[in-house]
Amino acid sequence: MSIVEIKDLAFSFSRKEGPIINDFSFSMEKGEIVGILGQSGSGKSTLLRLISGLEMPQKGTIKIAGITVVDEGVFIHPEDRGVGMVFQDYALFPHMTVKDNILFGLSRVPRKERKQRLDEMLELVQMESFEKRYPHELSGGQQQRVALARALAPKPNVLLMDEPFSNLDADLKESIREELGVILKKANMTCIMVTHDRNDAEAICDYSIVLGKANKATHDLNRKPIQKIK
Amino acid sequence: MKAELVKRNIKKEFNGWWMISLVGAVVILLPILFIFSSIFQEPNENWLQIQAYLLKNYVLNTFTLVALTGILTAFLGVTLAWLTAAYDFPLKRFFRWGLILPLTIPTYIAIYTYRTMLGYTGVVQATFRNHFDYRINPEWLTVSGIPGAVFIFSLFLYPYVFMITRAFLESQSTSYIESARLLGRKPLSVFFKVVLPLSRPAIVGGTVLVIYEVLGDYGVTSYLGIHTISTAIFQTWFRMYDVNSAMRLAAWLMVIIVGIFILERFLRQGRRYHLSNKSKPLAPVKLKGVSGVAAFLYCGVVFLIGFLIPLVQLIAWAILTFDKIWDASFLTLINQTVYVAVISTVIILILSVVVANITRSHSTFSFIVSKCVTTGYSIPGPIIAIGVLAIFIALDGVLAPVYSNMGLGEAPLILSLSLIMLIVGYFIRFMATGFNAVEIGFEKVGTKYMEASRMLGLGVTKTFFKVDLPLIKGSIISGFVLTFVEICKELPLALLLRPFNFETLATKTYQYANDEQIYEASIPSLLIIAISILSVVIIQMIGKRVKR
Repeated sequence: MSIVEIKDLAFSFSRKEGPIINDFSFSMEKGEIVGILGQSGSGKSTLLRLISGLEMPQKGTIKIAGITVVDEGVFIHPEDRGVGMVFQDYALFPHMTVKDNILFGLSRVPRKERKQRLDEMLELVQMESFEKRYPHELSGGQQQRVALARALAPKPNVLLMDEPFSNLDADLKESIREELGVILKKANMTCIMVTHDRNDAEAICDYSIVLGKANKATHDLNRKPIQKIK
Repeated sequence: MKAELVKRNIKKEFNGWWMISLVGAVVILLPILFIFSSIFQEPNENWLQIQAYLLKNYVLNTFTLVALTGILTAFLGVTLAWLTAAYDFPLKRFFRWGLILPLTIPTYIAIYTYRTMLGYTGVVQATFRNHFDYRINPEWLTVSGIPGAVFIFSLFLYPYVFMITRAFLESQSTSYIESARLLGRKPLSVFFKVVLPLSRPAIVGGTVLVIYEVLGDYGVTSYLGIHTISTAIFQTWFRMYDVNSAMRLAAWLMVIIVGIFILERFLRQGRRYHLSNKSKPLAPVKLKGVSGVAAFLYCGVVFLIGFLIPLVQLIAWAILTFDKIWDASFLTLINQTVYVAVISTVIILILSVVVANITRSHSTFSFIVSKCVTTGYSIPGPIIAIGVLAIFIALDGVLAPVYSNMGLGEAPLILSLSLIMLIVGYFIRFMATGFNAVEIGFEKVGTKYMEASRMLGLGVTKTFFKVDLPLIKGSIISGFVLTFVEICKELPLALLLRPFNFETLATKTYQYANDEQIYEASIPSLLIIAISILSVVIIQMIGKRVKR
């Protein structure tokens, strides 16, 4: 069974503008890491927002772990989809410590298990000694690791990552990229990662798809066929 | 769109936050719509008389006041803004905020202060008479009629134009002004060819705020005996007890408001230049010699007449009457003012937070709701008052059987004699003040934390309390203070909607002044000015934070 299944998806920001995503279909299996490549404005981040439920498509169906989360008559709110997300600028809550940021998504987990899960996550991202720090006291790479731990803690069905390396220095990027690949595989996480850098996708993803810029004349999204990079 | 799709879209948006917002919007719109409904009712005899003999005069006076005040405030506001934004001269840094201070003296306080100060027994004429043995012709100094009102309105309301235009000039216009200077234009030419056309939206925006104040004024015009539509609304209600005619007058005033609103849109049309946020601040040019002194004198005179002189006069009167006024009943007055202002402000802030939170979805529906709940700011107090009054009287009529069952007598006026009516009035009038402050907070925080929280499994309400509230609490506090201050200063709504024997600082000031107990009015006036200065300080602090 596919863990994410998208069929005939269409989305536009307004009626005046043409669709930014048009007739898009795609599926992926559990444990796969898929890269979404494409230029600015090609709808990469929008695709993640549609899967997560932060935007609503005009047409099409999205299923996550076999459950329809959106179609013409169904809309499941983001908080009930079982999807984790690492935002481009991490969006760590500035008024909470690392510990509280990670615990934030565990409100539905029994109290006893929360602490254990927190420790597991801190260990996974090697941030054990930073749990009392606030986000502004961390480096870019550390913030990214906390964001990853926070997203993984509630054990989502699928993890979405929006340009996870765009806020990092070039030197740091390479080491963190490798680290991230290891963490994701260790957690056996299904992951969709949006990036504009082909090297990111090559380093981490099992395969990638390329979204083309929407063609203004036809408003068609020129989705290239799935391209195996690795 | 298919029915299923519509149902799905509603399901995505709709929740308790929406319900509360809709109820708020209905409460705000109902009195306004009720006023318009009066046009379709059969007019009574009073109205036919008003229409035949008085209405023309009311409308003419209102227009004259609005036109003259508009021109003068625009002139004062723009020239002062340009001087303090583009030039350096002695005490310029002080004038940048000092010239906002006239706004802290409500016009109904300014008018009785000036009229008494310049009157026969006032300090000016008395000094000349007693110390210099010179009798000034009283006509030279009389503050009366339309010229007197225009003088007061312009001098104490110009800061609206000044603040908006100066902020625009300082932050947005640098590259255009520098280009004009480099192209060899002289200062006057830069002002007329570049500054004025560019700042037109800011000037129009500020002037329209002044016009709304003038249209809703009751204090100045009634004190000077000028008949405007607003004063007529009060007279038909207080003297004739004729709500229907008062509503018809309010509908007329609404027509003028709508006209001004359309004119504002028209004047701004095509003038929404794309201006970069990254624009660097304007580097002021140093004025030397005579021009420096002239700029200093111009700003200084406006500051003296618009703030310092009336303030000193009020302090002098307050010293004379302190022992007489400052007693237990005065403390009750402060208590009552604070009590009603706090309750109204809390209600306003709660609804502001709810509506501002739903407008973050940027849907058409949320846009409409946000516009509905903020309509009150452009509607003069007397219109709101009469709309609320009419609704509450009608409500009491509907509830009459309930009252009767409760043993409260046949058709008593319960709601329309209660404090609830005044609170509803404040709520409609000042919702925009609270909402704008909260909306700025939400805009600064953005949606990323809210989205992150929802992706981590928390619903809209839990997200608000755990994530949004701690992040926007500063904006909520400033919204609270600004709204609280506005309510403490407000006069027309309080006069029309307060329960019997309920006084606020503003109504007491007005009552003293109306009874010619001018000296006694000084202490409540000074208190109102003190809380207004607090709001200016907060606006300045917010401005600095936003700049940072």
